[in-house]
Amino acid sequence: MSQGEPNSSPAQFDVFVTYQSILQNEEISTPLAAILTLTQLIEKSSAGTMFELVQALNDGAEILKQRTPNPISLNAGCELFIAFVTLFPHDSDSFSDLKTELVKQGRNYATEALTYRDKIAALALGFIEDDSVILTHSYSRVVMKTLLRAHERKRISVYVTEARPRGLGLRTYDELTAVGIPCTVVLDSAVSYVMDKVDLVLVGSEAVVESGGLINAVGSNQIAIIAKAANKPFYALAESYKFHRLFPLSQYDLPTHNPNVLSFPPASVSTSLPTKGAVIGSGLQKITPAEGSRSMTQEQVARNPNVDYTRPDLISLVFSDVGSLTPEGVSQYLVGMFAG
Amino acid sequence: MKSVFQNVTVNGEASGSQQPPKSQKTMTKAERRELQEKQRAAKAVSKTPGAPGGAANAKGGAKPSVPAPSTPTAKKVRRGTDAAMTKPAGAGKDVLSIVGEDTARGLRIFSHFGLPKPPGQAKGDIHPTIVRLGLQFSEFKISGANARCIATLTAFKTVIQDYVTPPNNTLSRHLMTHLSPQITYLVSARPMSVTMGNAIRQLKLEISGSDIDLPEQDAKDALCRKIDNYIRDRIIIADQVIQETAGKKIKDGNVIMTYARSSVVEKVLLRAHAEGKQFSVIVVDSRPMLEGKKLLAVLSSVGIPCTYLLLPAVGSIITEVSIVLVGAHSLHSNGAVFSRAGTALVAMMAKQHSVPVVVCCETYKFSDNVQLDSFIKNELAPEGDLFSSFPLTRPKNTLTLHGQANLEILNPLYDLTPPTSITAVVTEVGVIPPSSISSIPLALGRTTI
Repeated sequence: MSQGEPNSSPAQFDVFVTYQSILQNEEISTPLAAILTLTQLIEKSSAGTMFELVQALNDGAEILKQRTPNPISLNAGCELFIAFVTLFPHDSDSFSDLKTELVKQGRNYATEALTYRDKIAALALGFIEDDSVILTHSYSRVVMKTLLRAHERKRISVYVTEARPRGLGLRTYDELTAVGIPCTVVLDSAVSYVMDKVDLVLVGSEAVVESGGLINAVGSNQIAIIAKAANKPFYALAESYKFHRLFPLSQYDLPTHNPNVLSFPPASVSTSLPTKGAVIGSGLQKITPAEGSRSMTQEQVARNPNVDYTRPDLISLVFSDVGSLTPEGVSQYLVGMFAG
Repeated sequence: MKSVFQNVTVNGEASGSQQPPKSQKTMTKAERRELQEKQRAAKAVSKTPGAPGGAANAKGGAKPSVPAPSTPTAKKVRRGTDAAMTKPAGAGKDVLSIVGEDTARGLRIFSHFGLPKPPGQAKGDIHPTIVRLGLQFSEFKISGANARCIATLTAFKTVIQDYVTPPNNTLSRHLMTHLSPQITYLVSARPMSVTMGNAIRQLKLEISGSDIDLPEQDAKDALCRKIDNYIRDRIIIADQVIQETAGKKIKDGNVIMTYARSSVVEKVLLRAHAEGKQFSVIVVDSRPMLEGKKLLAVLSSVGIPCTYLLLPAVGSIITEVSIVLVGAHSLHSNGAVFSRAGTALVAMMAKQHSVPVVVCCETYKFSDNVQLDSFIKNELAPEGDLFSSFPLTRPKNTLTLHGQANLEILNPLYDLTPPTSITAVVTEVGVIPPSSISSIPLALGRTTI
């Protein structure tokens, strides 16, 4: 547990810089970092009334959102904290006492939240049988904790997807093989090929939404659909601060979707043919032995989404620090948490 | 089964020749049936060549009922006199309307559906506002869950203000007994909607909770204020929140499909348009009520590009739709939505084509019970074309079906959309999945709806 110090001058509190420095700590995920940043904001704030304070918090959250490319989990943390502040019973006479109390609560929450991953790992352990083959996607800290925990007592082997374009699956591979868990990286396109060998699918999350659906790195939806078709359980692991009141109706209703994603480039006669005999237009490519495979250009990658939405009917269970929830139960929990 | 037949034969027997019941029992089932048929045929012959009468009478006889011995004879007499007055071959409106009444009462299936009829004699002390309201309900001048509830509550305000507590009684105890016959009268005009039920339940709670020590006028004013607050908080303001929330789901370039006419959806679309969003609307409509025409008129008058089609054509246009917005009559705890007949078809079709279905519903429309199908509780639309106020190219009575000898008209008003076809429900407490209806009271901070 570490807290980043604002490295700007004490007179000026830069929200974004604080946020970045808190994120340096590997253990802290974006919603927690947001909560800690906002806690610091309260500390440094000169607001005299609750209204001003909430206003300042909202402004701070807005700045963070604008400067982050994928604000979904950030939003989740900010909204949770601002709701907490608004609903906090303020019967203390002095406003600065209240502020101190809020800051203390914020920090306590963050400290406790760091134990959530262990709780989730303990919960999920009961669903992993000895000698299971597990499929996971990309890199997730909570899934890592669960797999390491499971490895202590049971034999497991893991398939992990490559998770292009960022290739975070390779990081999972490195960490798992370092502790001796048998692991293989599979291509994103080979998930259906491998699905029949798998016993269960475990993924982490960016956010769990009101409908009970999951927002996670792009590719999760595909894996969920294939798991459903092959009748394998699909489990999502999410800490409770990742629960968000968003309700996407479809992939294109996500806040991360913009007109640039999946757009077609402006038509132009391309003069830059690859030099090794590949023929464009007929779709044939001759791969010369020395060359190897091609990969997408930066511009092409930019037209692709970073996260996708998995529908609740594809998810078997959501494991969280509040317990194991069905997707329907997520909404009930959310309503209870944000209600008056 | 056997007892039913026995009843039948008793009826037939009563209006036919007098036979000792003993011989009935000694006959076999087939023989009893034969006797029944003979008696029916005999009746038919004894009338004018108005064959519908015979068929209807047989149906009337088929129903096991206590006053049955008198009704077949009564009907026979009445029809006899009417027939004498009209032309024998005439399909005069009088005969037809009487026949229509009798044949409707003779529905074999779904006879438990409420058929709207003009409310009978006002028994007891019915306030004139309530009489007026009952008439408006039965003629479908006021229709729609929200409209009916607001009209009922407004009428009750008048009733409360005109009410005088009798001596030796308290307002909180007696007012409810005063209101009960009024409510019964309204129900006789048209079965109560879930919205009216919830509102009246809340009103009863307020009345029984009103302070005994308050002077009468103050108590009445307090009640009227509470009614106003209820309308304001749970309908008007709820609608505004829903407009905003649902409006966020509408993006530029969307094609929105809606069904019939929901007051909430109308408001959502008007507001989104006022905010400058560019979208087009497909209004799906169905007979006999054809409520979509009014919605079409309202939307196109503000400049929203609209398409109008009838329900059977939904399949050909569903691939063009981005989102389906519908309203609801009521929402049940298993997540099913009870709405205008036809909504379920639109929702299921949309689900098949991966089009999100969004139901806009205020929380006061929630009903604690679980409803699994459309026919446990439903209503019939009245015969005849009450609904269209638009000029027609053909006369009204050529466009509508009338009950005939072998034809029953069945027009249920509502149907049930299963929760699996619904993507989201937009309420004033937020967007929720249909399976989480039970968490709504928690969100409102109370233990019941």
